[in-house]
Amino acid sequence: MFTAGAHPALTSFLAAPVNLDRPGHYLHWGVIQLSVANLVVIAVMLALFALAVLLPFPGGRGRR
Amino acid sequence: MTMLRTPPAPTAPQHDDGKWHGRTREYDLVKEFVIALVVVALLTTALAAIFSSPDIKQVTLATWSRSAPDDFVATAATELDGTSGTASYGAPYTHTAGAAQKLGPVSLQHLAGVTQPVDTVNDFVVNPLDSIPADPTLGIALGAWHAATAAQQQTWATDYDTALAKAPTTRPTDSTFGPVPTMLDRLLHLAQAGGLDGALLLQGQFFQTDYTKSLLFIADGTFLADKAAGEHLAGDQWGMMNETGGYPGQAWLWLYTFWYQVPPFSTSDNADALVWGVMALLSLGLVCIPFIPGIRSIPRWIPVHRLIWRNYYRQDNRPGGM
Repeated sequence: MFTAGAHPALTSFLAAPVNLDRPGHYLHWGVIQLSVANLVVIAVMLALFALAVLLPFPGGRGRR
Repeated sequence: MTMLRTPPAPTAPQHDDGKWHGRTREYDLVKEFVIALVVVALLTTALAAIFSSPDIKQVTLATWSRSAPDDFVATAATELDGTSGTASYGAPYTHTAGAAQKLGPVSLQHLAGVTQPVDTVNDFVVNPLDSIPADPTLGIALGAWHAATAAQQQTWATDYDTALAKAPTTRPTDSTFGPVPTMLDRLLHLAQAGGLDGALLLQGQFFQTDYTKSLLFIADGTFLADKAAGEHLAGDQWGMMNETGGYPGQAWLWLYTFWYQVPPFSTSDNADALVWGVMALLSLGLVCIPFIPGIRSIPRWIPVHRLIWRNYYRQDNRPGGM
């Protein structure tokens, strides 16, 4: 976060539009305690894996 | 340009020279690397601009002693009587017998020995006080401390620590504790002024970059542990898997930190060594997958590779095609 001694316009330009420096949200199931942020990252990783498996291999057809 | 092998082809011609005699196709690794580099660089820049990065303020001895002076003095008392976490940690900081974690009969913690010796009495309390000039009252107290026997010093420190434990917010000042009340009062003021941070960083080099002693001292108190628990970073909260605030953390450490949440690891004093051993065994198993019967057959039962190379198996009527 850019704040120290900078011009206000520069500060507002460089400040992050989404402030994540607030307390996070956590989900609890028994011993499992997962932050929502980590859950989002895990979901994105699984989605990317599924896409990588299911999407056609680029340039793979007709050049075999 | 790299020639990439096509998937395993049971019908490929068999030769004895060990070379691949099946079909090949072009695959540009350099092109893939450049595209991946550019995409990741753009993504990193964009995400950093949108979300920034964690900005939790550093915890120093000064901020700790100002925010929680009672905790600071109570911790300093344990440094002085040798009952703090650091004073009784064992290797690599102290020679405390029986303190090390063990994996069976092997004490991994003590194998490398005491490589960063820490004397909590002198390093954390007495030496920083010795550096304070022009304080006659402190000078008298330090004179009494240095003139006393080790047994007397221990008695003063232990009695003071016991009295503090009974009444944490009331710092005793009577003479039965010898010079300890004066010493810890001056240490508190030194810390609140920022001087103790500098004193523990002094290493006789131009750049002072070794924060080991400061961090050990801070970690002995409850202030840092409470802050970590508030941020869901404590060991029983999947610790290093989490990040401060609403940021995603090191999700790939879920398995390593998972073991700390379940018995017997969650209740063991040897948890670090045991979890390390379990992860070492699992990692070895991962490396040895091609040699483990049953596990090595999983691709036959769950043929994800045939889904990826479905055209190969479908169009050419390969054995086992989908």
